[in-house]
Order: sequence, then structure tokens, then C-alpha cells
Amino acid sequence: MAYTTFNQNNFDATKEPMFFGQPVNVARYDVQKHAIFEQLIEKQLSFFWRPEEVDLSTDRSDFNSLPEHERHIFLSNLKYQTLLDSVQGRSPNVALLPIVSIPELETWIETWSFSETIHSRSYTHIMRNVVAEPGEIFDDIINNDAIVSRATAITRYYDNLIEGVQLLNILGEGEHTINGKTTTVSKRELKKKLYLTLVSVNVLEAIRFYVSFACSFAFAERATMEGNAKIIKLIARDEALHLTGTQHILQLMASGRDDPEMAEIAVELKDEARQIFLDAAAQEKEWAAYLFRDGSMIGLNKDILGQYVEYITGQRMAAVGFDSPFAVKQNPLPWMNSWLNSDHVQVAPQEVEVSSYLVGQIDSDVDSDDFDGFSL
Amino acid sequence: MANIVKIQDAYSFLPRPGETLLEALEGQDIAMEYQCRQGYCGSCQVKLVDGTVEYSEEPLAFVQEGHILPCCCKAKSDITLELPQPIEALQRNASA
Repeated sequence: MAYTTFNQNNFDATKEPMFFGQPVNVARYDVQKHAIFEQLIEKQLSFFWRPEEVDLSTDRSDFNSLPEHERHIFLSNLKYQTLLDSVQGRSPNVALLPIVSIPELETWIETWSFSETIHSRSYTHIMRNVVAEPGEIFDDIINNDAIVSRATAITRYYDNLIEGVQLLNILGEGEHTINGKTTTVSKRELKKKLYLTLVSVNVLEAIRFYVSFACSFAFAERATMEGNAKIIKLIARDEALHLTGTQHILQLMASGRDDPEMAEIAVELKDEARQIFLDAAAQEKEWAAYLFRDGSMIGLNKDILGQYVEYITGQRMAAVGFDSPFAVKQNPLPWMNSWLNSDHVQVAPQEVEVSSYLVGQIDSDVDSDDFDGFSL
Repeated sequence: MANIVKIQDAYSFLPRPGETLLEALEGQDIAMEYQCRQGYCGSCQVKLVDGTVEYSEEPLAFVQEGHILPCCCKAKSDITLELPQPIEALQRNASA
């Protein structure tokens, strides 16, 4: 059925597939088909942070003392991150909300996208603090060929899906002539587009983002641009959760537990999905060449970043059940783990953003026996 | 009584009480992959060949069939683990 903002049919949402079932009606979480999504929402909310909490006052002088080629690395990386989050801040909403059919997943998609908008705002916070003219840098994102070419690779699956879903909504399944061109709208074809979109999102979150994190942390590893690294740490914590969400969706699809047709599609598109990982790895290596075109920095160069691309791609492919062609088995950037661990520099809960420090965790079930150990 | 952790094709050891399995493996100078250490990222995933583990909190990450997340569990019986790579590749060089 066509999209409606409040489906007036009386039906059991727990019997619907995650996507392409009936549009959602009541946003209720008392009964859930896949409880994992509500757990992800709760975790994401416990992570809430604002970019302004992070002090960037020393980053400007750090930036000014960087040599020219390192400024190119830093700014290009930041531009790339801005592009990635510009896409992620809207696309899951635009592409997935019209086709989602269970309330807990709908809310997860919204929560997920919202946290990406915090990331986008934090890039502006960083730019404002680091350079005098942030405008020039933002403007370059759509003028810079190296960045624009990656934007196409990232967005084409989303755009394909969005277009197909719009046609389904307006015209329904079947053969249609639009502006003199014959198009076939079929739910199965759209499900294929959805599957490939989710694989490409997983690649974006699990590989592309991590390559950019490596560059951010490489500066901080040398004790420069540390405020920036602190923000990136918070972003990395969110992204780890998002990629878990996408992995769950992909695995639920592949298992056939959610929608048996999706399981067939996952098998049918295995090679194409695997190719998305390999293409992304190749593009990330190209990007590494662009970043380090004017020179390397201490601790990171084109070759090491390329090895990291292969390493992380291999890891991520294994996580969703693909075999990886890459031979790199050891992490070429062993310091990444400790930077990625957002709680690693914990001093005290009130001083740092600690993900396990939850507000409102009070045990109201107190008995007089609980004071037995005390004496006055 | 503590449970024995055996690393497939390598050696066995006794974890210290109170340690998570990830901490125990790190205590053996094995460079384990990790990120969140709270069960939501899935980076530290290893294969459980034999035995059972006990989670302090059910992990959020997607865990493949037959795998466990050592960052948030402990051995409940004697267990055998298969590391993602041969142990020589993961052992931290003491002199480094």
C-alpha cells in the first residue's frame, strides 16, 4: 500500500517484515518484533553529547604550526567526514522511513540519523575554531573533484532506492510509462535496491569512517589537534553503534527470519554486495593517495593507510560473512584501538563523557536491611 | 574454582578472578582487537570452540553463530577459543 503517516488498518506490527510491509501506525514499544532496535535506541540516547562540550582552544595554534602538506591532510579529511555525515544525517530518514514497517526500527532510524546531525554540527564547531574562514572549506566540498567523486559512490544506492520507492508509492507495481520511458516497478527489485543500499551504508560506517578516524587520530597520536580527536572519539563511539545496527538489519535479512524473500535476495546479490566492499576499499586507497600527495606525516603515509584500509575491510567483511581477498592480518595502526575506545581516558564521570555513566540510574528498592553494615 | 581458557593450537592459562575474558587475553600479551569494551561494537569477537561463557550483560553487537564477545563475558566452564589469527601474529613483542 502507498505510504500514509498513520496507517488506519488494524494489524499486528510484529507480523510485518522490517521493510516493505504496511506503513507503521502506533509508535508503540510494548510488543516488539526485534527488541534489539530499542536497545540500540537506549544506548544511543545514553551517548548524547554536544560538540560545544569539547574545548578546541589549543587546536587553532596547533593547526597554525602544522606544515602546509599536513594542513592539506587535516582539512581534506575533515571535508570528507563532513560529506559522509551530510549524507548520513538525512539519507536513512529519506530512504528508509517511507518503507519501514515496525515501530522500533522506525524509531531507531530516526535516532540514528539524529546523532549524525550532531556530527555534522561538530564539524562546523571544529572549522570555526581551527580556521579563520570556515566558508571556503565548506564551499570546496562540492567543488573538489576528489571529494565529489566519492560522493557519487556513496549516494547512488540511496538515490536509486528513493527514486524506486517514490514510483512505487505513486504508481504501484507494474509497467509504467513515465515521460515516454517505460519503467517496471516491482517490490522484489526494490528489495534488492534496499539490500544493496544497506550494504553500502554498512561500508560507509564500517570502513570509510574508520579510514577518516585513522587520519584524525594520527594527529593526536603526535599530541597535536587533540580537541579534534576528542570530538572524533565521540563520533567513533556513535558510529560503532550505528554499524552494529546495520549489521543486525543485514543479518536479520540474510537469516530469513524477518522476510524469507530478503534471504533469497541476500544469496542472489552476494557477489554484488561483496563487490561494494572491494570498490570502497579501492576508493579509500585512492583517497589515501590524494591525502598524502604533498607528503606524509609522522606515523602515517599512503602505504600504511592503504594497509589499514585492507585490514579494516577484511575485518568488516568477515563480520557480515564475506570472505576477504586481503592478506593483511595484523592491524597496521595498533594505536587505533585505544583512540577508538572512548572510555580510555576516563578520569572521573563528571569530567569526561563516559558512555556507561547513565543519568537516572537510581535503585529505589531500598530496604532497612541495606543499612545493616553502617553504625554510628 | 577458576576455569581454564585454552587457546586453540596454542596454550592454556587460568584467568585471574574478576577479569573479563578480553582482559585475561590481554594479560597474556595477546593484541586483541577492541573498541567499545562494552559489547556494542563487536570488534573483539572470537570463536568459541568448546565450553560455555557467561555474559555480565547481554551484548548489543551482532555476534555470529558460535562466536562470543570476550569484552563482556567470563568463562563459565573450561573453554577453548579460536583467535581470529594465529597466535604468533597477535602476540605482542615483549621488547617492542
